[in-house]
Amino acid sequence: MTAATSVDWSSLTVGDALPELVLDVTATRIVAGAIASRDLMPVHHDRDYANQQGAPDIFMNILSDTAYCSRFLTDWAGPDAFVRRLAIRLGVPVFPGHTLTFTGEVTRLTREHDEGLVEIELRAVNDLGEHVSGTATINLPIAR
Amino acid sequence: MTETTLDEQLQALVGRPIGEGGPAHAPDPVNQPMIRHWAAAFEDANPVYTDPVAAAASRHSGIVAPPMMLQTWIMATPKITGIAERGGSPVEGGRVKVLALLSDAGFVGTLASNSEFEIVRYLRLGDEVSAETVLESVSPEKQTRLGPGHFVTWVTTYTDACGEVLGRQRFRILKFRPVAGPS
Repeated sequence: MTAATSVDWSSLTVGDALPELVLDVTATRIVAGAIASRDLMPVHHDRDYANQQGAPDIFMNILSDTAYCSRFLTDWAGPDAFVRRLAIRLGVPVFPGHTLTFTGEVTRLTREHDEGLVEIELRAVNDLGEHVSGTATINLPIAR
Repeated sequence: MTETTLDEQLQALVGRPIGEGGPAHAPDPVNQPMIRHWAAAFEDANPVYTDPVAAAASRHSGIVAPPMMLQTWIMATPKITGIAERGGSPVEGGRVKVLALLSDAGFVGTLASNSEFEIVRYLRLGDEVSAETVLESVSPEKQTRLGPGHFVTWVTTYTDACGEVLGRQRFRILKFRPVAGPS
């Protein structure tokens, strides 16, 4: 749930942890994300096709990963946050039945005029190991 | 006549647009129904995406599209019939040459591995998005847990109706020969 008010940049410290985002991954969640992101690759909705590709089940698409990462950032940072950069690398796949947990930490704070930049290191792990690792930069207005 | 190797054919494509026919244009302008559908699918309750009053009161001064939807706007309208036979390609014809070369060489599997977004500005309702994608690199054949494959990296530049840059995305996929693949 997005915080009603945004994080106060000047109150942040390097090492601050972001609140975890925990997802129960179902086939419905995977298919809903694939279709909403307009990714019709059959491996994300057709188990038989996924099996032919050597996967045991359908798996989450990368557009869903970037979507959940940005949600993870703004659930914490609030409606005034701008996501300026997000770079992720995929590890193990996410299948129905997994629990996917996003964690993150503030790694750098810099100021540019009236904007506060926050660099964040983030990862998402599931039952098989690390699914996503990455970095992000958001900016927040600085109250005068 | 000299026979060119697969690697030579792949490297010849580097630095060039991946498709033919110029930039891709979003089938529809940025709109509230697609944003609402996206926000619901990812259970993203950020009010700046769907609540006009809260969005107006925010730093964004109005509804904005989720930044990670940038790639979604330019996804082609899919033709469902035959999509599996086309290896998941949403459209007929206009095959991306680098992917066609690899598929024809047996690297029929596709798996995304990296996505890096730089967002220049958030999109607003009515924005018309175009995108041009250039092939940045193709790796030599590598052994992966899925089988032998090549990593393919391209960079997409997204622009608005005035040609102003909205954002950039570096995207990497693995084209692999499935170990337990279709025989």
